[in-house]
Amino acid sequence: MPMKGRFPIRRTLQYLSQGDVIFKDAVKVMTVNYNTSGALGEGARKFVFFNIPQIQYKNPWLQIVMFKNMTPSPFVKFYLDTGEQVLVDVEEKTNKEIVQHIKKILGKSEETLQKETKEKMKLRHPATFGPRKYHLRECMCEIKGQIPCPGEIPLPKEMRGKYKAAMKENTVSEANSV
Amino acid sequence: MLRSLQASQGPASALLSGRFPALPLLTAPMRGRKSRTDPPAKSKAGRIKVPPPVDPAELLVVRERYRQYGRLMKAIRSVFKQELMQQRYDETFGELGRQRQEAIVKEHQQLMAWNDAENQRLQQRREERLRKEKAEEEQQQLLRAQKEAALLEEFLKEKEGEVLQLQEEAKNFITPDNLDQRIEECLNNPRNYNFAIDKDGRIAKRSVLS
Repeated sequence: MPMKGRFPIRRTLQYLSQGDVIFKDAVKVMTVNYNTSGALGEGARKFVFFNIPQIQYKNPWLQIVMFKNMTPSPFVKFYLDTGEQVLVDVEEKTNKEIVQHIKKILGKSEETLQKETKEKMKLRHPATFGPRKYHLRECMCEIKGQIPCPGEIPLPKEMRGKYKAAMKENTVSEANSV
Repeated sequence: MLRSLQASQGPASALLSGRFPALPLLTAPMRGRKSRTDPPAKSKAGRIKVPPPVDPAELLVVRERYRQYGRLMKAIRSVFKQELMQQRYDETFGELGRQRQEAIVKEHQQLMAWNDAENQRLQQRREERLRKEKAEEEQQQLLRAQKEAALLEEFLKEKEGEVLQLQEEAKNFITPDNLDQRIEECLNNPRNYNFAIDKDGRIAKRSVLS
């Protein structure tokens, strides 16, 4: 059974990665109060159905709580780590408008995001070698066109240290004798 | 070059490769008969391994140089580290850092103010809507009350009419008082109901011979 639910597209990675709201680090909890009926709360319902998965995918450490039919009008509330609470009224808005509004007030700006990606790239130098966690490659033998790993295919004698040392000794001893 | 080297094996390769053109190697270095775990031979029992000879003057000089080198490198490293730490400190607590943070706080406050304005606008719209709804509801209630009153009036009128009709009929009722009188009347005026009637209710006075 490959498809589950009413709009299985919501479960695809492509759809989830299209979410463009990344919240600032100060935002810790998001609370959505909405109603299951009523024409004015249609935007809020759509927001919960279509956009919340995208938001959660992009903000995995954000706690999102949802309440149904507790208040007459729908709203979204954010709890920041400074103790501040931000209330957003979403009664007569469509889900796109809600997303835009939220992005404007509490989302990370484009420049911040670009700066962060740049800093991440700084930590990863593509020319260094080392453990897979921090580098692209571990050894020169992994690169095409270079000498294969001596663990798999032994090097020719002329490149091995003990042969070269023996040859050097030989030349020294011969020079001495002559 | 790699393939050619791999193809040629053994001491002959030394002559052919061109890198070591001088002398043939009589015995190539090999492990030999014994493996790593085998004990050394009895002939090697009294063998004392002597380390390579060292020139003391040279050693002193070399050691001193290495010490200086170490000191230099440590100094350079600490200078760079100090620079880095200073940069990091300035970023958070220096002037630029503080300005940046102030700008962030200000922007946040601006955004919050804008959000509040938005909320206010929606609140006013909601109040307007609720007011309208209330007014409509009141009007509806008024209409309903009026309708109800009208119905009640009609009903009362109907009932009144019925009552009046009954009162009128009551005048013709036979009571014990005028019982004898009415009996006398009936007996004195015999009525003949022996007549035909057509569909329209007219009494047939004369029958037509077809």
